[in-house]
Amino acid sequence: MTVAQPRADAILDALGGVANVDEIDPCTTRLRSIVKDPSLVDPALLRAAGAFGVMISGRVVQVVVGPHADTVATDLADLM
Amino acid sequence: MTTSPAPSPAPGATATPAAARAPRGAGLRTARGRHKYQTVRAYLVDLIENELREGDAVPSERALTERFGISRMTVRQALEALVADGVLQREQGRGTFVAPRRIDFEMRLTTFAEDARRRGMIPGTRVLDAATVPAVPRVAEELALKEGDPVHRLERLRTADGEPMSLEVGWIPAHLVPGLLDDGVPESIYGALRSAGLAPTWGEDTFLAAEATDAEAALLELRGSRAVLRTRRRTYADVGAVMYSQACYRGDRYSVVVPLREPRPVIVPRPREQDEPADTAGRTSP
Repeated sequence: MTVAQPRADAILDALGGVANVDEIDPCTTRLRSIVKDPSLVDPALLRAAGAFGVMISGRVVQVVVGPHADTVATDLADLM
Repeated sequence: MTTSPAPSPAPGATATPAAARAPRGAGLRTARGRHKYQTVRAYLVDLIENELREGDAVPSERALTERFGISRMTVRQALEALVADGVLQREQGRGTFVAPRRIDFEMRLTTFAEDARRRGMIPGTRVLDAATVPAVPRVAEELALKEGDPVHRLERLRTADGEPMSLEVGWIPAHLVPGLLDDGVPESIYGALRSAGLAPTWGEDTFLAAEATDAEAALLELRGSRAVLRTRRRTYADVGAVMYSQACYRGDRYSVVVPLREPRPVIVPRPREQDEPADTAGRTSP
């Protein structure tokens, strides 16, 4: 079994959609996002979208996506 | 930083075995004693950091006694404290020298043994414990398992050139490599994972500054400072998490190098008409 590469559209959905996102800062293995309403973020959906880990602290949501962060970030930029 | 020239070491001014056994802190009970001790210690630390190289001799006890006008005992204590901290090394009958520098440590997805060999050191491992156990909540969380799922747990003391360097506990999901411990503990866990088609491809390390516990200090043979560097590592292969490990590195022998690069631009939503619903990709699901 192989874990699918994290999908940008599903990640954005799980973050509460583009309307809920203030910004997404792509790091080496993580997407650090600032959301408007953290209660709209669904960690289980993020995991299902291929995230390896999720850390939520206030409005800051860190999604661990691994070495695909660059590709996912490029896709996210297109979607937003 | 000092501007005065460093006194050259006087021959014959080496520590006696009795001096090496002198208790630390003796004779420093007065504020005055404490102050003088700090002065000579600060002088030595500055000299070692900024002027001397690895293997250079530090000024002799006699030279330091004369330079600072303080007792030989205070000088000796300052030197001994730095020896205990691993900054200086004493060689019987020769003098006191600057110890090998900390090991620059660029975190990469390599094993301890690979790292040590790359530095020209001979790696060693003492297995302290190895068993297949139910995953505790933290380990289950890190490895995306259910609590109680079987994991191989390995506790190892890693050495370089025979010297203890780090203590490491690692957990590997048992279902991925059921026979991992069947023929004893493999020399390299990453090697065993690679053989099983689970080559580690990426990971994340988290660092914490800490003080060693009594048990850790004993195993790492820490004599002076108890400062250690704790790391938490999640190791991933294509299938997902393959190992979670916690390590405790000697603070006196390691420094961490973190390569930096310019950040990618931050992604912000494009401006939209106010009444326009979020676009198709941005549906919210609640």
